[in-house]
Amino acid sequence: MAEAAHNKEPFILFEIKDTVFGVRSREVRHIEMVEQITPVPNAARFIDGVVFTRGQVVPAVNLRARFGLDRVPYDLRTRFLVLQAEDRVLGLIVDTCREFVALDQGAILSPPEEIAGQSGKFLEGIVRQEDRLILILNVAEIIKHSGAEELAGLADIPAALKKTLPAGEMSASRGDSAPA
Amino acid sequence: MPGVAPLPDAAAAQEADLAAEAAPSPSPSQEDLPPEPPLPPGARIWRFEFAPDPALVQRGINVNVIRARLEEIGELRHAQPLVQGEGKIAFEFLVATALDESAFSGWGQDGVTYSLERPVEPQVPGVAVDRHSTPDGVTFPLNLGQSSVVRVDLAKLDDLMQMVGELVISRASLENHVKNLEGRVPAAQWRPLQENSLAMERQLRALREGVMRVRMVPIGEVFQRLQFGAYDLGRDQQKKVIMEMEGQDTEIDKFVVDKMMDPLLHLVRNMVSHGLEPEPERVARGKPAQGKILLKAAMSGDVVVLDITDDGKGVDPDLVFARARTLGLIDADTLPDPDSVLDILCEPGFSIKDRADLASGRGVGMTVVKNAVQELGGTLAMETQVGAGTRFTIQLPLTLAIVDALIIKVAEQTFAVPMAAVREVIELNPAALTVLNGNEILNYREGVLPLIRLSRFFGLSPHGKPSAYALVVGSHLSRVGLVIDRILGQRAIVVHPLSDPLVQSPGFAGATELGDGRGILILNVTGLINDYRRSCKTISPAEGV
Repeated sequence: MAEAAHNKEPFILFEIKDTVFGVRSREVRHIEMVEQITPVPNAARFIDGVVFTRGQVVPAVNLRARFGLDRVPYDLRTRFLVLQAEDRVLGLIVDTCREFVALDQGAILSPPEEIAGQSGKFLEGIVRQEDRLILILNVAEIIKHSGAEELAGLADIPAALKKTLPAGEMSASRGDSAPA
Repeated sequence: MPGVAPLPDAAAAQEADLAAEAAPSPSPSQEDLPPEPPLPPGARIWRFEFAPDPALVQRGINVNVIRARLEEIGELRHAQPLVQGEGKIAFEFLVATALDESAFSGWGQDGVTYSLERPVEPQVPGVAVDRHSTPDGVTFPLNLGQSSVVRVDLAKLDDLMQMVGELVISRASLENHVKNLEGRVPAAQWRPLQENSLAMERQLRALREGVMRVRMVPIGEVFQRLQFGAYDLGRDQQKKVIMEMEGQDTEIDKFVVDKMMDPLLHLVRNMVSHGLEPEPERVARGKPAQGKILLKAAMSGDVVVLDITDDGKGVDPDLVFARARTLGLIDADTLPDPDSVLDILCEPGFSIKDRADLASGRGVGMTVVKNAVQELGGTLAMETQVGAGTRFTIQLPLTLAIVDALIIKVAEQTFAVPMAAVREVIELNPAALTVLNGNEILNYREGVLPLIRLSRFFGLSPHGKPSAYALVVGSHLSRVGLVIDRILGQRAIVVHPLSDPLVQSPGFAGATELGDGRGILILNVTGLINDYRRSCKTISPAEGV
């Protein structure tokens, strides 16, 4: 698979509670600041509402709430990430989003077996980069299974990894990734 | 070709258009036709020819009806109009079916002739059939003379409507700016601005209505297919059915018509199989031997009202409740409430029959009807009298894309309510409120009006002043008052459906933009009431009396 190894693909990185996540940039339609969100009464707990963007109504998923973490008020760094997969368009509200990196396909490692359980299918892989870990999300799966609460476990992954990886390789741990 | 009457040019052209619609690739060139799919086992290809004439049209038989029939007996392989000079026209269809001749031998009186196009072939799967075996594969060039009818793809009209919608939003934004300028610029300069803005609103409304009219089709087409469905089922069940129609010229949005076709067909078939009694029973009851179904359409303001009435045995509420208990749809101790009969009929899984047959009994029919009506923002009501018949009343919006709405405020959140759903706005007098079983009711006209506090239902914390108004909504049996804080105004809004399952809710028809980038939700009144009732049931099953 030499061909795949030389294949670089652009990813967009965003942060939730100091954990770095990545999504393929071809799955991202656009990114905007959070301006007007219309709340939808009686919707799922992790839905902040809908956003009008480019003539379309897009549901806004609060990724912190989706991961079972506490919500934080929107601020100037908060971003609205509009994703598209299989005819569905979905927006994620994330803490911040400001990086665009080209990652080697070969650098994406499959998640360790310890965490490949329930939440594992939402995780496409892990990239170790200098001092940090990037969790690559499987956008199609996240969009598909948008009803239940299985995603809650994802927030624990960095903590779980700290245990499984040798301490030296996780030198600069990025903040508290304690479970909610 | 037995006795083809000459048709006027325009009608012929229209019929030809319809036939062309049936054949997506009416390419006369034989070479570039795609390879024909293999025949199903035992199937033969029959060639049908249909010659329309005015007498047939009077009986409701046109090329669409014939096409629908052919599609029921088998797979429609090919359709094309044949022009035979002197303005005469006929239609040729090739149908692959495993049925034998007796299935359509009686169609001669409907102007249909048929012949066996090709016998059973020892088919090797995957081998393309030689199109040139068609004996008289001669296609006449279409020469239909001048026609004033243009066929337009519905998607193009959707685009057009979308553009008009955007224009409506831009004008709303303009109006806001003009309002803000009032008093800040000299009146002599402000007034022409305001007048222009108002003139634009009128013109925009006219444009909107024009685009809407283009999308409208007469409901008569649907009625004719319903008639065929009813006759067909009547024949199968040895019931004689006559169908009367009124208001076939009533026009309704093409999209709405398409969405309603199957549900309406279901309703009519239900009437034939459940509503109308067998002939001997009818005679014994002193009714005419033929069962009658009346289809009526009328326009009333912004809605089209469809009345579908039979003179059958009616719906016996006791029977429905007993059946619902057997099926476990309602608790044994729930007292029968005559108003909830329709709700039970529409409950998924409800069927009055023990066993499903070809026509009905699978317990999904009325659910489909109700869902389709609700999805379109309409209402469904039923009146029935045991022994005398049943009437279903369906109200549908004329069009979906742009509606007039009231902009309201509930606990500091803004919503839109389609005007068509609001019967009346009443001021709320706290003294006239009564609390019964934890539900507020209001004396209203001769009866009482149950109230739904939107702020509470939506889980919003009430804000400051007490709610001042109630919107009276719902059809007469299920009329309720929606308690709101304030009314901000009335305007035309563009409906964007909430298509994602994450934010779909029966209580909301969609969202709209008010011209300043703010989005607000549009209430779906029928869905909201049902949703509310359901939530009341789950909270306090004991109180569900």
